[in-house]
Amino acid sequence: MFKELDPILHSQLRLAIISLLVSVKEAEFTYLKEETGASAGNISVQIQKLKEADYIDVEKKFKDNYPLTICKITPKGISAFEDYVKILKQYINTK
Amino acid sequence: MENKNLELNESMDIINKMINNAKSKMADDGFLLIFWGWVVVAAALIHYVTLKLNIQHGEYAWAILMPLGGIVSAVYGYKQGKKEKVKTYVGTYLGYLWGAFGIGLVLTLVCMPQYGIKVTYFMLMILYGVATFVCGGILNFKPLIIGSLFSFACAFLSNFCGEMDQLLIIAIALLCSYIIPGHLLRAKFKSQQHV
Repeated sequence: MFKELDPILHSQLRLAIISLLVSVKEAEFTYLKEETGASAGNISVQIQKLKEADYIDVEKKFKDNYPLTICKITPKGISAFEDYVKILKQYINTK
Repeated sequence: MENKNLELNESMDIINKMINNAKSKMADDGFLLIFWGWVVVAAALIHYVTLKLNIQHGEYAWAILMPLGGIVSAVYGYKQGKKEKVKTYVGTYLGYLWGAFGIGLVLTLVCMPQYGIKVTYFMLMILYGVATFVCGGILNFKPLIIGSLFSFACAFLSNFCGEMDQLLIIAIALLCSYIIPGHLLRAKFKSQQHV
């Protein structure tokens, strides 16, 4: 019996954001937007959901008088991502 | 990209694509390697030529070019930091590496009066070799590792030369460990910018 895939991560954009953040130390909002090709509004919503799940830390500050959002994956987010990949592999291998 | 639910294979594709995207971005564009390579080569060759022609105070080339290089590097680092949208682990490790290299370099130069020029030149080439060897390992970039071996070999050979010839050997070490790998690294960086 397989575990269920984490519904927070099992969505295209949230999974893309977590996959990017798991590979880097921290990333600005604009970097996530460029790499995923998603709209700013959509990314904001998904970042908020990941933050509410404690999968990422979000820091808001200013750079040259412009607002700057920096995202960083948390240990809980890393663990959730690893579990997601593990379960995903089990599903794919039994198909 | 939208926020839709996924098929299993789609999930795997997204994970692979995003991780590869993040990893493929080179953390180093090679500029500082090329820049410092030429600065040190210029200082070594100017010093060598002045000694050869019996012109006094050729060593001032070091005293002028090194701080100048430091200022250019600081300005470049500051500007790059402002442009940076993502902090990678590779970038962090490189920061620590070059930080340690800088401290080692300054200490070696400060202790030069005590140990003499010959030992100092030897130590400098060892430091160049260590820094480029580790940098090559972190970036997984073989030309830097191969270049560093030339620097170690030059350091060893310099023990059998006079102080004047050591200047030429330093220039060769920097050409092999900084300038050539730096240009190759820059070419790789630029090719990735167009992907």
